Order: sequence, then C-alpha cells, then structure tokens
Amino acid sequence: MAAVNAALRFEHVSFSYGTVPALRDVSFALAPGERAALLGRNGAGKSTLLRLVTGLLHPAEGTVSVGDWDTRGRAPESLARRVGSVFQHADQQLFARSLRDDVAFGPRALGLAAAEVARRVDTALAALELSTHAADHPYDLPPAFRKLAALAGALALEPAVLLLDEPTAGLDRQLRARVARALAERAAAGVVVLVATHDLAFAAEVLERGLVLDRGRVARDAPLAALLTSSERLAPLGLAPPTGAALSAALDLPGRPVRERDVADTLARVAATRGRV
Amino acid sequence: MARLTFERVSFWYPATERPALREVSLAVAPGEVVALVGKVGAGASTLLLVAADLAPRVVGGKIEGTVDFQGGGRGKGGRGIVLPSPWTQLSGMAFKVWDEVAFGPANLGWPRERIVRAVDRSLAALDIGALAARDPGTLSGGELQRVVIAGIVAMEPALVLLDEPTAELDLEGTTLVWRLVRGLAGDGCSVVMATSDPDALPEVADRVVWMEHGAVRRIGAPALLADESLCEAGLATTVADVWRMARLGAPYPLTVAQAERRWRQ
Repeated sequence: MAAVNAALRFEHVSFSYGTVPALRDVSFALAPGERAALLGRNGAGKSTLLRLVTGLLHPAEGTVSVGDWDTRGRAPESLARRVGSVFQHADQQLFARSLRDDVAFGPRALGLAAAEVARRVDTALAALELSTHAADHPYDLPPAFRKLAALAGALALEPAVLLLDEPTAGLDRQLRARVARALAERAAAGVVVLVATHDLAFAAEVLERGLVLDRGRVARDAPLAALLTSSERLAPLGLAPPTGAALSAALDLPGRPVRERDVADTLARVAATRGRV
Repeated sequence: MARLTFERVSFWYPATERPALREVSLAVAPGEVVALVGKVGAGASTLLLVAADLAPRVVGGKIEGTVDFQGGGRGKGGRGIVLPSPWTQLSGMAFKVWDEVAFGPANLGWPRERIVRAVDRSLAALDIGALAARDPGTLSGGELQRVVIAGIVAMEPALVLLDEPTAELDLEGTTLVWRLVRGLAGDGCSVVMATSDPDALPEVADRVVWMEHGAVRRIGAPALLADESLCEAGLATTVADVWRMARLGAPYPLTVAQAERRWRQ
C-alpha cells in the first residue's frame, strides 16, 4: 500500500482558528518524489495545511505524519530535519548580512560540519542561479531575489518534504523558470514537493497532482493535466484553466495540451498539416 | 492636464551608486490605466514609490528631475499605494476589517456618514462585506490583500498605485481587482500598476510601459505585449509567447480570442 511508504500523510485532519474552522477531515498521502499542487480559493485552508506539516500548528483532530514521524509533540525545529518550507512573503524573512550566510543558517542549525554546510549552500545557490549574488546583502537585492534566497535556504536543508506557499508571486518568467527547474531536480531526487499556488500555469509546468481545497475540505484530488483542461470542473472550485490550456481548448488542439511548450509544439504540428495559419 | 508627470526623473536608494530610476519621463492622464512591465529589478516598484511620494521622502535616497501630481487636495483625491506585502500595510489599530478599511477615511477627517458610505462601497467593490466583522489578524494572505486595497480605495484617491495587486489573489479576487481598476478609471481616477501577469493587461491597461534597468524602454498600447522584443525579454502574453515558440510568424496574437480568430481564418 502506497500509504505505508508515504513521505507525507494527512489522516482525517481538522483544524480551527478559535471558532473559525480552517480544515475539515483532510486525508491524503504523498509518496517520495511526488509533486503536488495545493489549489483553491483564498481562505480555503492552503496555508493552514502547510503550517500543520511544519509543526507551526498541530491538528485538533487526526494525524499528520512526515515519514514515520507524527508531527504531534514535535516542534518546528525538530521537523525541520525533514521539512523545508518557504512561506508567503519569504522575502521579508532574511536576516543575515549576505545571501550565503542566510542560506547557511538552516544547515548550521542542524549541527552539520562546516564543509557539509558549505557544500549544501553552494549547491542550493547554484540550483537557483544565485551563486554570483552569494556575497550580496539580501536587502540590496529586489524582493524577488530574496524570495529565491529563502527557497535556497529551504533547499540547503535537503529535506524529504519541500513546502512552498505562492512561490511565484512577484517573479518574472525567467525567475519562475529557475524555481521550476530547481523543484523538478529535487523531486527527481525523491523529495516530496507540495506547492500552494494560484499560478496554475506554473503548477502545470512543474507539478503533476492537484489537491483542491474548498472551504477546508479536499474537494478534488486528481492528475493536474486532467484537472486543468476542464473549465466546467474548475469553475465551482473558483479556478480557471491557465492560458495555455484555454488556448488549446479554444483552438480545439488534439490531446488538449496544458503546458506552454506542449501547446506550442501541438500548434506547430497542426499548423504544418493545415499548410497555413 | 496630466494627473501625474515624471520629467527626467532619476532616483538613487540610500548608499547606492547605481540609480534605480534613470531619466524616466511619463505622463498619466486622469482616468488612465498604465501598466509597468519589466524583469525583476527593472524599477517598476521604485517608480511607484516615487509616484506615491514615499521615495525619497520616507525611504531616503536622492532624486533628480521633476515629479508632479495634480490631485484634489486633502480628502478629495490624494494618492494611495498598495504595496506587494499587504500585511505590512495594516494600521494595527483595528480589530475588525470594517474599522481597518475606515482607518484611512477617518484620518482624513471626514464626517461619519461619508466614512460609512465610502467603507461600505469599498467592501462591496472587493466583495469582502462578509469579512467586515473579522479580525484582520485572522485573514488569509489573499483576503488581507483585498482588505488593504479596499482601505486605499475608500479614501477616494485621484491616483492609485498598485504593486503586484493580484499576486496573492485567487481567480475571483483577481477578477474583482481588475474590474475595480477599470471602475476607478471610469470615475476619473488614474491607476499606475506593476504586474507580472501580462495576460491580464490587454483588458485592463490603456498603456503599457516597458522598463529595463531603471529606464523606460518603450511605451505603447497593450498590443506591445505581443511584440517580438517583449517576447525576447520574457514579458509578452502567454498567447504571443506560445505563437512565437510554435514559429507561426509575427505579428503574434495577444489574447486567446485573437488567436482563435486567426486560427479560424
């Protein structure tokens, strides 16, 4: 059974902020290397779900497991050995005098040897093409670069589970592509990637499974490619197909590709058979 | 007469040698929606801070050139900015969303009835009437973004500056904000905004300003977002970009609707 090997598992999890319910009876499991999008309206419970994995919050009911660890009774700093996270507004959370020092903070806090810290920091900065900025003061860089630096800090923990909350907000296309490449690379190495996002185009490029929250419940759990092509199925969940998928539907492209590269390739192929555009 | 005029404006942040803005000239008319596009670090956010009179007045630094804003005076058309991190803009003085949105108008010294009218209208425009009694501290990021926008709009400004206003919004919120922007423009308010979502601009913006290394590289109609040079810079709309990747030849369609018309021809 997949659940036995799950890197991250929610079993009947509920959580409320005082009297305001945020999550209700949420269950799902992610296997190592799985890349999932956490989708849904503002206030649907996405950020709350992520905080339950980091141990910043604990479930009122049910169980959250990271590998064979029950998060209950574990503090965030203990869970940080397995969970790396980048939250909304991560650009405001840097505090060291250089990007290198900021990214090194996590691995150092894990008590790793200096050489291992250096290796991880170099790898993480390189993965996001930040190496040339290693000596820069974080606040001399635009917020978007600080956001990437926060992600580098999470990568440097080399966690089994990587959580990201709106990682592409405020990023331009090139920086988005860097994040996409880094996440794909980590997932290929067996890391679970869970991304809360409204950027469905980014989700389509990088992620494979879609978990949609609706008022605190898991309303859909399906392969993203299938989920994102159907505007009828997305509309009640407050979502719309990303532009690539909308284009492919409007032009009635065979196979209804979703990723921009795939849409372009299909478009080129169909145009060639039609002989003109 | 222009609502906002930049004449050869250059700006340096404190203790930096490279200007964040270089000789920017731009005029924004009443009721006009101008979108700033550019790569990260191109200067769009800085331009908004200068236009809001926050830079250099609050953040420090050095400015050259002239910035002119023609508003309607205190309480009658000032300028408001929505920063990309909404939670940094909360007053911290309100325990309810309604009071938070009323904070700005109350500080303008308006009579009670006018404040109530402005706040209720603003909450309705952003469809957050249901949040009116909630504590701002309990809201999600996207809900907070709407509350902050409502707080600015409630002051009935003549110039609204928006930095990535939809970054954390869901589809409904995004749709509402873009509709609000067109509504503000319809009432004569000028809007200048920075966004990394070019797909929204053909329907929302009257003009697009392409910024690069702190300078204005080009200004034009939203059709500019399907231009070869913007495609190369990674700033074009998704449809233009896909069309170009498919090597279907310029001019590229800007929107799904344009692509569809072209395809069916």
